[in-house]
Amino acid sequence: MTPALIASDLTKVIGTRTIVDSVSFELHPGEVFGFLGPNGAGKTTTIRMLVGLIKPTAGRVTICGHDLARDFENALRCVGCIVENPDLYRFMTGRENLEHFARMLGVHADEIERVAGLVNLEHRLEQRVGTYSLGMRQRLGIAQALLGSPRVLILDEPSNGLDPAGIRETRILLRMLAGEQGLSVFVSSHLLSEVELTCDRVAIIHRGRILKSGSVAELISSQRAMEIRVGDVGKATRVMGDRTFEIAGDRLLVPIEESDAPPLIAELARNGIEIFHARPHVQTLEEMFLEATGGETVD
Amino acid sequence: MFAALVRNETLKVLRRKRFLIVVAIMLAILTLVSYAEYQQLKQARKTNWRAELQERIARTQNRLRRSNSNDQWIRSMRIEINRLQFYLDRDINPESPTAPLVVRTFASIAGILLLPLLMAILGSDIVSAENAEGTDKLLLTRPVRRWKILTAKLVTLWIFATLTLITGAMIAYAVTAPVLPAGGWDMPMFTGFTLDADAVKLDQIRQLPLWRDTIIAFGLEWYALLTVAAICLLLSVIFKSSAASIGTMLGFLIGGTLLTQIAPNWTAGKYLFVSGLPLPSYYTGRAMPYDGMSMSFCIILVGVWAIAALIGAYTLFTRRDVFG
Repeated sequence: MTPALIASDLTKVIGTRTIVDSVSFELHPGEVFGFLGPNGAGKTTTIRMLVGLIKPTAGRVTICGHDLARDFENALRCVGCIVENPDLYRFMTGRENLEHFARMLGVHADEIERVAGLVNLEHRLEQRVGTYSLGMRQRLGIAQALLGSPRVLILDEPSNGLDPAGIRETRILLRMLAGEQGLSVFVSSHLLSEVELTCDRVAIIHRGRILKSGSVAELISSQRAMEIRVGDVGKATRVMGDRTFEIAGDRLLVPIEESDAPPLIAELARNGIEIFHARPHVQTLEEMFLEATGGETVD
Repeated sequence: MFAALVRNETLKVLRRKRFLIVVAIMLAILTLVSYAEYQQLKQARKTNWRAELQERIARTQNRLRRSNSNDQWIRSMRIEINRLQFYLDRDINPESPTAPLVVRTFASIAGILLLPLLMAILGSDIVSAENAEGTDKLLLTRPVRRWKILTAKLVTLWIFATLTLITGAMIAYAVTAPVLPAGGWDMPMFTGFTLDADAVKLDQIRQLPLWRDTIIAFGLEWYALLTVAAICLLLSVIFKSSAASIGTMLGFLIGGTLLTQIAPNWTAGKYLFVSGLPLPSYYTGRAMPYDGMSMSFCIILVGVWAIAALIGAYTLFTRRDVFG
């Protein structure tokens, strides 16, 4: 399957500072791709290069087979995006905003009803955007991004300003667009749990470089361990002998499969160690992220 | 496709209520002008102007009959007699204002500062407002090349420059016609005065009916406003906020106008775009502020500024990186 979007060796240098350093990734049809990084990691600069707002110093962006630098119009015809905040014209109504962008794309007015329906905004279209809540503007932003049925959807912090129900709705919408309509969805987010639930693949960017990337399941399964909460950690450490494990408070983290757990638990119990619980420990994306970026603040 | 872009930009200017403000300002000022002219008219009616006018014509005819001086002088006397006779025939007091005269004067007087200022209010933030409101990120990530977007914005400014002039002329006539004499579009006007060494050169005087004179004055002002629009576009590309771009444009217009009055000896000042901008008032005989200026100099100067501003605006807008 040919990728819907290819970013190859994207680099942006401003003065002597390298803001983005050889960032490469591919978006495939039907997948949701998560982009994670702390403040100033180069996330927004990367997104701006993907949609032609910033010219890369080196590297290139190919969207649906069109080189962004050489064939701007055809490349961007395949993309709908929200960069940073969903800033729309506040002095115009929701409908006027959608009509504005529909005219730029040359798409039919029926499209407006369709995309407004997708984000449940059809009853608020006649109101001025200035009166919208952030959540409604976010949904209007997604609606305008969907005008003209793009193959690639690029969303910067799409769950910003949404309440839990709105976040869940957005997640369902994005999964539906990727699953049923085969869109490639690129999402940056600071809600790691959300990315974990929404995305198929993730890239972690830090100081302009991609530190890790892979499928969410892969990254998580590589971190599988058993977590055993014990009464006396010191005594348990002696019983463990030369097995590899980590101590986290009153818990032992042992990198073994679930099937290998009963003999170990039996041995600990035999030696009179109190066991409060034993369960599979799955490192969350958040922990993995903090580990990868050296514990810097998450954007 | 391009028409759709222009439609978008026009809609945004209208929704920002900018044109409404411009129309309201013109309406307020012209209503005041109309009231003042009406007071003047009432004053003029008290005098027996017909007798005075007949006497003036007779006096001039006498001087003409007795004189044997040069052709130019004779020609200018004939023009003067024609003019006075015209007023007498149509029962118009030459010292009293008429609605068509106010319309023409609107182009020349408002063209000095008011109309460029209104243009600055309309257009100085046509790009910077998108930047300030963050909407540029959506506008520039659509499958439309940046030069097309900027051209749509320029054409929109030109449309509103045209609309401002037409609306201004219509308001000027509408508010003065009920209180002043409404007719007299064919009143003879005398144009072509050129001030040279403090003497009026008479050989270039031409007689035109008022309606043609008005069209020429408005045409010149239209040309000047297209240039103001181009400079507005450049400033709105350079600055990131509406206040900065509108403020700078107002500063240029007012500062430049002041400069021509404060330092008329600084001859390089004639190359400022503001020096050449009041084209219709130069056309109707206002003295140009610097030596070595002429009507054609001003027209070329204004055009060069417009082209330079557009080159700057397009170069910057199509090449720059859009950061937050």
